[in-house]
Amino acid sequence: MLQHGNGAVPARGAPSRRRFLGGTAGAAAATAAAATPLLSGCGGSASADGGTLKFWHFYDPKASDPAMVAQSKWFDQLIKGWNDTHDVKIEPYFVPGVSYQGSKMVTAFAAGAGPDIFLLSPGDFTRYYNGGILADLTPHLDDGVVEDYGTSLTSRTVDGKVYALPMEVEPLAMFYNVPVWEKAGLSEADIPTTWDQLLDTGDKIRSKTGAAGLVFHTDPGYYQNFTWYCWMWQGGGEVVDKAGNVAFDSKGARQALALWQDAVEAGIAPRTLPAADDRITAFTSDLAGMWQIGIWEVQAFKAGAPDHEYGVFKLPVPPGGEYTTTLGGWSFCASTQGANPDAAAEFCGWALGGMSDESIDRTVEWCTGVKSDISPRTSALERGAERGGYDSWAMKTFKEDIFPGGRAEPRYPPIVYKAISDAIQATMLAGKGVDGEADRAAQTIDAFLKSYQGASLI
Amino acid sequence: MTSIATQQARAPGAAAAQAAPAGRRRLGRKGRERLAAALFLLPDGLGLALFVVLPMLLSFLLSFFQVSGFGSYEWIGVGNYERMVNDPYFWSSMGVTAKYVVLMVPTLFVVSLSLGVLMKQMLPGMSVYRTALFLPHMLSLVVVGLLWKFMLDDQTGVVNKAGGELGLGARSWLGDPGLALYAVIAVTVWYYMGYYMIIFLAGLNEIPRELYEAARIDGAGPWTSFRRITWPLLKPTSFFVLIVSTVAAITGTFDLIFVLTDGGPANGTAVAMFYIYQQAFVFGEYGYAAALGSFLVLVMVALSWLIFKATKGGRFDDE
Repeated sequence: MLQHGNGAVPARGAPSRRRFLGGTAGAAAATAAAATPLLSGCGGSASADGGTLKFWHFYDPKASDPAMVAQSKWFDQLIKGWNDTHDVKIEPYFVPGVSYQGSKMVTAFAAGAGPDIFLLSPGDFTRYYNGGILADLTPHLDDGVVEDYGTSLTSRTVDGKVYALPMEVEPLAMFYNVPVWEKAGLSEADIPTTWDQLLDTGDKIRSKTGAAGLVFHTDPGYYQNFTWYCWMWQGGGEVVDKAGNVAFDSKGARQALALWQDAVEAGIAPRTLPAADDRITAFTSDLAGMWQIGIWEVQAFKAGAPDHEYGVFKLPVPPGGEYTTTLGGWSFCASTQGANPDAAAEFCGWALGGMSDESIDRTVEWCTGVKSDISPRTSALERGAERGGYDSWAMKTFKEDIFPGGRAEPRYPPIVYKAISDAIQATMLAGKGVDGEADRAAQTIDAFLKSYQGASLI
Repeated sequence: MTSIATQQARAPGAAAAQAAPAGRRRLGRKGRERLAAALFLLPDGLGLALFVVLPMLLSFLLSFFQVSGFGSYEWIGVGNYERMVNDPYFWSSMGVTAKYVVLMVPTLFVVSLSLGVLMKQMLPGMSVYRTALFLPHMLSLVVVGLLWKFMLDDQTGVVNKAGGELGLGARSWLGDPGLALYAVIAVTVWYYMGYYMIIFLAGLNEIPRELYEAARIDGAGPWTSFRRITWPLLKPTSFFVLIVSTVAAITGTFDLIFVLTDGGPANGTAVAMFYIYQQAFVFGEYGYAAALGSFLVLVMVALSWLIFKATKGGRFDDE
C-alpha cells in the first residue's frame, strides 16, 4: 500500500508533484502572456485586422422579433452592396442595444478599438463631435443631398459641415389602447387636445378600469429627456436660447415639469413603467390606457400584436401653447479614429448620401419596408408615399398630423442632459418644488455654459 | 543491455554532481515546501497583479488627468479631486451609499447568522432548506434584478398582489424614492443571505459539541448557550462577514441597481458606484471617475481598518 509523504511513488502515468507544479506554473505564465493580446483584441476595429472596416449596429440578426431580423438583414444587404463594388470591405458587428447605448462603444473608443462606422443618436452627437470622433461626411455627399435632407440635418451639422446622416425620423405621439378606452366609456370623440383634457381622460381611464391612465417614461436617462422636451417646447420653453444663454428657468419648462408631476401625484401616470416597459404586453393585457411613444411602435404592433386595436393622436397642447413633438432617429457616422476614416465616410455617403435611385430607395426601404418611420429625405418621403408606405391609418396619421411641426431632438452635452434629468426626476417622482428644481437646473447649465467650448448647442 | 546503457547514461550526471560546487545544494524539505507553496500561489498572484493591482495603479494614475474618453489626456494634477470635493451629486451618492451600508450590512448579518443557527439544527429536510437558501446566490445579479423587477411591479407584481390579499395597499416599491432603496436592500439581503449563512455554518461547525453538552448539563438554555458559547467562538467568522459584506455593499451591488432602478427614482438609489459608472461611461469623464474610484477605495480601506480596530482584529474583546 502506498503511503502519503516521503517515499510515496506516483502511480504509473499520474503526474508527480514536481511535474504538476511545473505544469501549473507554465500554464499560468502562458495564460498571462496570452491575456494581454486577447484583451486588446476585443471589440474589433479596422486596425485589428488590417483593412476590413467594422460597422457597429444594434439590430439583432438572431432576435425572436421578425421585424428586428428584417432590419438586421437590411444592414447585411447594404454592406454586401458596398463590398461587391468596393475594394475596402466592411463587416457588420452586432452589439446588443443596452451595451451599445451604455458602456460598450464609449469604452471601445477610449481603448482605441472603436468602430469605423456606427449609429449615433442626436443626444450623443455633441459628445462625439467634441471628442473629435466624427468624420466630415460633406465631401462624400452628392449635390442636392443637403437640400433633400433639409432640417433633418440641422442637429447633425457644425459650421456647415455634415457629421452624421440620419436614416430615419421618429416623432413622438400618444398611443391609446382602444379596449381600455371602451371599458372606460371613451371613444375617438374623447381624444384630448389640451393638457387638462389629457389629465382628465387619464383620470377616467385609471378610475374606471384600473389601468395606468397615461404613461410618461419614468426611468432617468437620455430617453426620458427626449420624451419630455416636446412638452417644454409646447409652452415656449427652451434650455438654451438663440444667443446661447441658459433659458431653462422659464414658464414653459416649469409648466412641463408641473404636468408630469401632477399626473404622477394624482395617480394618473404610474411611477414605474407598466409590464417593465413592454408596451405590447401592457396594451394587450389592458395595463395602460395611453402611452407616449414614438412611431417605431407601429411596426412593433404590426409584428407583435397585429390584431390589437390601438389608436394614435398628436400630443395635446397647453393653454396658449403651440403644437410640437420631438423628432428622434439614428444616423450613420464615420469615425476619425479608424484605420481608414476616408473610406468609412465614403461608405456613409454612398449608403445614404447619394441622389441616385439606389441611395434614395435604401431610405425608403428602411423607413417603410423593414421599419415604420418618417423618411428624413424629402425625396424618400415622397417615394415612400407613392409606394403606399404611408397608406395605413397609423403611418398616415404620423406623416400628415404628427410629424409636421416636429422638432429635432436637441444635442445637449452630458452635464446639461443630467441637470434636466435631475429636475424631471425630482419633480415627477420625489415631489420636489417645480420652481426650485427649474432654478437649480438652470444654475447648473449656466455654470457649465460659461466654460463650455465645442459645437453649438442650438 | 538496458541496464548497462542506463548506468552509462547516469555516469556523467553522477560525476557532474560530485564535481558541483558546495553552494549548489539541493533544497531541504522546508525549502521544497516553500517553493511548492510559492508555485501554487503564483497563478493567483499573477492574476491578481495583472487584473487587480495593475488596473488599480493605472486608475489612480488616470485620476490626475482630464480624459475626454476619446483619446485625449491632459495632466491636471489634483484637479479631479478638487472637483470631487465640490461636487454635490457625488456627496449625495455617498450619502445614499452610507445609508445603504448602514442598513444593509447589519440586516444581512443578523439574517444570515439566524439562518446559520437555524440550519445547524438537526431537523428533517435541513439540507433541502440549505440548498434552497443558497440557490439565489448561484444566479447572476442581473437575472435576480430582472426577476425582482417583475415581482415588485406596481400593477402586476406578486409582492403587491400578496399585499392586496393581506389588505395592504399597493405600493410603488421601485418608483417611490422613499421606498426604492429599502426594496433594493431587501433584494440584496435575499441574494446574499444564503452565502453568508454557509460561512456562518462553517464557523458553527468548528465549535466543539461538547461545549454545548456541558452547558446543557449546567442548565443553560438556548439563549445562554448562544450568548456564552456560540457568539464568542463565532467572532472570527463574524469579523470576516462584516468586512466582506461591507465591501460588497459598497462595490458589489451595481448590477442590481442598474437593472432594478437605473439609479432612480430621483437619484434615490444612485449609490457612489453608480455615480462613478455614470461619470465614466455615460459622460466619458474617465479621469474624474478614476478619482472618485480611488477615493472610494480609500474609504473602503478606512472602513475595514475601523472594523478591524473596533473588533480588535476579529476578537471583539481582550479575553
